[in-house]
Amino acid sequence: MKEYLTLADLQRDLRAGNTTCVTLVGQYLARIREYQHLNAFVEVYTDEALQRAEAIDERLTNNQAGRLAGLVLGIKDVLCQAGHSVQAGSHILDQYRSPFTATAVQRLLDEDAIIIGRQNCDEFAMGSSNESSYFGPVRNAADPSRVPGGSSGGSAVAVQAGLCHASLGSDTGGSVRQPAAFCGVVGLKPSYGRVSRWGLIAYASSFDCIGPITRSVEDAALLLEIMAGHDEFDSTVSTREVPDYSAQLDWMAVSGQQPARVGYLRESLESEAVAPEIRERLGQVIEQLRADGHAVEPVEMPLLKYCLPTYYILTTAEASSNLSRFDGVRYGYRSEDTPDLERLYKNTRTEGFGDEVRRRILLGTFVLSASYYDAYYTKAQSVRKLIRQETERLLTHYDFILSPVTPTTAFRIGEKMDDPLQMYLADIFTVQANVVGTPAIAIPAGTDQEGLSIGLQLMTRPFAEKELLAFSKYVSDLITMPEKVE
Amino acid sequence: MISTKLTPTTIPDELLGSYETVIGLEVHCQLLTESKLFASDTNRFGGEPNTHISPLTLALPGTLPKLNKKAVEYAVRMGLACGCTISERTIFDRKNYFYPDLPKGYQISQDKAPICVGGAVTISVKGKDHEVTEKTIRFHHIHLEEDAGKSVHDGNQTETQLDYNRAGTPLIEMVTEPDLRSAEETGAFVTEIRRLARYLDVSDGNMEEGSLRCDVNVSVRLAGASELGTKVEIKNMNSIRNIMRAVEFERRRQVATLENGDSLFQETRMFDAETGETYGMRVKETMNDYRYFPDPDLCPVVLPEATIQEIRSRMPALPRELREKFVSHYGIPAYDAQQLTDTREMAHYFENLCSHTNAYKTASNWLMGPVKSYLNESGTDIADFSLTPQVLAELITLVETEVISHSTATQKAFPALLQAPDRSPRELAETNNWLQNRNTNELETLVDEVLNAMPDKVTAYKKGKKGLMGLFVGEVMKKSKGTADPKLINQLLAEKL
Repeated sequence: MKEYLTLADLQRDLRAGNTTCVTLVGQYLARIREYQHLNAFVEVYTDEALQRAEAIDERLTNNQAGRLAGLVLGIKDVLCQAGHSVQAGSHILDQYRSPFTATAVQRLLDEDAIIIGRQNCDEFAMGSSNESSYFGPVRNAADPSRVPGGSSGGSAVAVQAGLCHASLGSDTGGSVRQPAAFCGVVGLKPSYGRVSRWGLIAYASSFDCIGPITRSVEDAALLLEIMAGHDEFDSTVSTREVPDYSAQLDWMAVSGQQPARVGYLRESLESEAVAPEIRERLGQVIEQLRADGHAVEPVEMPLLKYCLPTYYILTTAEASSNLSRFDGVRYGYRSEDTPDLERLYKNTRTEGFGDEVRRRILLGTFVLSASYYDAYYTKAQSVRKLIRQETERLLTHYDFILSPVTPTTAFRIGEKMDDPLQMYLADIFTVQANVVGTPAIAIPAGTDQEGLSIGLQLMTRPFAEKELLAFSKYVSDLITMPEKVE
Repeated sequence: MISTKLTPTTIPDELLGSYETVIGLEVHCQLLTESKLFASDTNRFGGEPNTHISPLTLALPGTLPKLNKKAVEYAVRMGLACGCTISERTIFDRKNYFYPDLPKGYQISQDKAPICVGGAVTISVKGKDHEVTEKTIRFHHIHLEEDAGKSVHDGNQTETQLDYNRAGTPLIEMVTEPDLRSAEETGAFVTEIRRLARYLDVSDGNMEEGSLRCDVNVSVRLAGASELGTKVEIKNMNSIRNIMRAVEFERRRQVATLENGDSLFQETRMFDAETGETYGMRVKETMNDYRYFPDPDLCPVVLPEATIQEIRSRMPALPRELREKFVSHYGIPAYDAQQLTDTREMAHYFENLCSHTNAYKTASNWLMGPVKSYLNESGTDIADFSLTPQVLAELITLVETEVISHSTATQKAFPALLQAPDRSPRELAETNNWLQNRNTNELETLVDEVLNAMPDKVTAYKKGKKGLMGLFVGEVMKKSKGTADPKLINQLLAEKL
């Protein structure tokens, strides 16, 4: 099957009559079957996708198709779609079907995207390796003994392995960018409040962002453009106008021919904790940028080490409350053993949630408890404010902050399952964007000696997605250019 | 040995009198908004179980709250009416606890930054010598929160049924300072709150349906002590009478307990309306840690001064303002003013009435007399009263100008008008021959006839049996077929005798 880097390429073939939506869906379905061992999908909507493809083919013939005609999309199992199951990778949502559709998903459907299935992820999006899913681990297509990253692991692998054209994930501390990096695809976390969270099963409300996982920056821009913007159903979504990102991807035009000011985290280039090959690759990119006339300087971010603790205190606090509704009373899993109310709760939640989710609920309950609230929750909120101020200050001097997405490339399945703290370090560079609310993107920057993908992260000011996407496209082209020349 | 232990019923008054009762209230008032506090489903009492339940009300995964602006406005109205400071920036917090009727596992409420802070209402209470005194009861704050659903235990011990219609309906919780000192004060306070809520149209204040509910905190201390005693919370009181009964019982119980040398402990008690007693809940009480934290799904609500002023400008006059106006502007007694401002509708009717007649005191008498009796008897409300203020005013004017007698007006014209509210009182009086006969010559003839017919009685009267005057008047009235002006008859009789 022909693999398209961008939807624009694909749509050219559609219009030229070289392929049809039905053909494309059929090819993806075949590949999903072929790569079933990767465990990327939890459920595949075979008939529904084919029927929809047929309808969209007809609209294409009549020139009435939407902007996403031909886009075959997978959605992470935390996004609600009316009439479809959604389980957040958890046992506790057994048999649950959503009666409504997430705003972001609906906007893509309205432009004729075809949803081919829901994708495996860490339970309630809590994890960095997609090993905490009730449906079992997802495998990295580049090396099935390795993790795809998480929590949107299924979504990243699906794009990596060509099981769908693009995926929709969610990013609370790096859950779109980290797996995108491990799988060598593009992962965009928009600004907090850029995309409505209505219909996204909450992990940590003040951090959660829906973001696309794609093969190209162009497609990330297009999907964001369609999903973003005001929504009656989410009070935290911004009313700012949404620029036509996909039409403004020329960095030179966007920047007015000005060279970019880029800061890179000194820690990320010098720290022993970052794999040498990743540091080397980052160094090369920095040199390329400098050679192209951009100002690239090391920056200090003394508060960086507080990002992870802040993130874990605040996200677990919010999660402990967000996940209280899963009690076995109204929907989802209920324990068989419910002799009284207390045991209805205890048994249902003990049996229904996995280890990592229970760990985070306990941690969150602890940090919110009366005796520890000020020591943890209040303090973490203050630190979050400081990190925000420091990051915003940095971003007045620099247009972008450059870093690796992850300290290592994809690790082996099982390698970090017994050491949650090691696992949490996988998000060390990504959590800052969620703590602050800034947009950030992971773009592929080659592979290490073992053929495992290295990801590069660019972060910028809140709601500066236009600049971020244009520069990402530029950097992406810059990175791949030498290979083309050779 | 017989037991000398005191009980709430045997405790002597002088012992009770050496203690002071301290009461604080949490009044929950359901707001009359069209939809729920954070969801679009209908906010109505009743309905088949689980018919007003959107995905949000059921806390389905992926749902988010959206604040109802009307509820904020209602809370501000109440706050302004109570003289509270309206917070320029108010936030919503999550109160976390598990209960089957609480769908999200947390209630969206307000903890650290409630919408209204401080404030007070003034109540009038009758003292021992029936003297009415005024007292100010302060508020700690007023906050907005959502209600929970209802658990129904249908006689079946092993099953609980859940109705989520009420889940998410908007409430304001009004928390007082411990300023109340007796059951009477507490009753007067809740009555005043209910009146305010109804005046402001923020709640129907219907206690039977649970639109207005109270948690009552009661403690006692020796008179003159400055430290507060151990308080007991009586939950979910839903009638003013029961609140008063519960307070009275609880103070007696607490005093008896202390006098017996036992100690009180802080607990939650329920009130049994059958026995008139409170009882402790048998469950072991663990300290509940609600883990309040700001709800990250909702933005802070910012209320600029201009918005508050706009809300204020749309508020109707308050009972207290009307009472003052009625006394100062219409010159009616304070008691009348109090009665006429009991409901906003009555107050409006009175004001309307006064725009059609200058006989303000008479107008007040009419409303508090015949009109109120009629409303009570028919079980209706002034809002549904069929006579317009214009018609009633015309009837009053007929009496004032002595066209018809007061008794004719109240006993004949008023009931007739109720049957035919569209008719003009004057026309009705004319048709029925109710006009007072003020023809002196005619009446003089009648008086002579009556006196001539009973010479014995006249002699008796002249000898001092003055009570016979009524008989003479009645006879003359009879002869005039009720049309004579009683004042004129009296006058003529006095002259002749």
